[in-house]
Amino acid sequence: MYKIVRNIHLLLASFSLPFLIMYGVSAVQMSHSTWFQMKPAVHEQALSIPTGLTDGRAIAREIMDRDRAVKGEVSNIQANDTGVVLRIIVPGTVHEVHYDHASGVARVKTSVAGVMGMLNRLHHWAGFWHELVSMKIWAVAVAVVSAALVLLGSSGIFMWFTRRPERRIGLALLTINVVFAMTLLTLLRMAGP
Amino acid sequence: MRNLVLKLHIYAGLLTFTQLMLYGTAGLVATVQTAAERPKVPHAIRYVPFKVTPSATDKQVADDVYRALQLPLTRPMPDWFLRRTPENDLLLDFYNINGIWRVVVLERESRLRIEEIRNSLGLFLGDVHAITTGDDEAPPLVRAWAFYNEFAMWCLLAFCGSGVYLWLTAQARSWWAWGSLATSTVGFAALWVAFR
Repeated sequence: MYKIVRNIHLLLASFSLPFLIMYGVSAVQMSHSTWFQMKPAVHEQALSIPTGLTDGRAIAREIMDRDRAVKGEVSNIQANDTGVVLRIIVPGTVHEVHYDHASGVARVKTSVAGVMGMLNRLHHWAGFWHELVSMKIWAVAVAVVSAALVLLGSSGIFMWFTRRPERRIGLALLTINVVFAMTLLTLLRMAGP
Repeated sequence: MRNLVLKLHIYAGLLTFTQLMLYGTAGLVATVQTAAERPKVPHAIRYVPFKVTPSATDKQVADDVYRALQLPLTRPMPDWFLRRTPENDLLLDFYNINGIWRVVVLERESRLRIEEIRNSLGLFLGDVHAITTGDDEAPPLVRAWAFYNEFAMWCLLAFCGSGVYLWLTAQARSWWAWGSLATSTVGFAALWVAFR
């Protein structure tokens, strides 16, 4: 039994390793934001697309057809007096579009995050509601790694418990963690609304 | 050496067990979310008497409301966060880790309308996993959790290093673990390139 659980622990850990490093490093970045340079690389371009468009999705499609580098999920569509503002997003890259429906000019401001910025965005990216296939595949990976993390903890508990010399001190450490964490979580949850 | 690393791996794991469960759960909660927006349906609405000080600015009124209600784990309202309802009443959203107290200052009625918007347990766990020590002005309870979270964060990184060491110094060959690592690394790199 021990050998099976150890192998499962190793299999899950080896699969999750790149993702756990990503989550750990980006968590350090978020906790200590001043340690890192997070300024994205920004460039702008103007594209000519048909005039008079009012549908944000049609505008995004025209832009993506003209410039293959512009790709991603369309969001934050807002119409104003002169045209439409929208965003085309993939993790780490934001294309902010200002479309003027009189002239048909779409100004595209592209912000590309550096490595730490990319890790930060990937840390926040999850869920199957995203449109792109690559994002859905990422969502699968996040789900697998999340479940793996729960199983890693559980299998770790089992393996610790089979080591007789570590039981007493281990039980003390586990009790400290569970009591402290559950007390804080309960107090936080009880603080309304 | 291996025995020491193994002990530290086990002890750190036991000391951060709850956080590891929480991080995994937060990932699963984010996976099953159906949209970026959160539901903002109040589960309770109440009214309390409140008289606005004549000639007070909106910011002063917001501070008076904050002092009068003393909502737990909230902070004074920054002036850039002040809003108005379509009826032109002052609208104050006091956030805490569990949701929002949405307060509407009904000046003409000399009372406050308080909507209590409570996040689900899943969203709460998701938010709790994201508390960092970077927020110096957070309430003490939140700060205490933040420091434990910080400890768990460093432990998670240390597990990656110590886990690889324990794997590579183990007697068993475990070629399938190399295959597993290679698969996820290639997948991770491919997705990274796809997003760039």
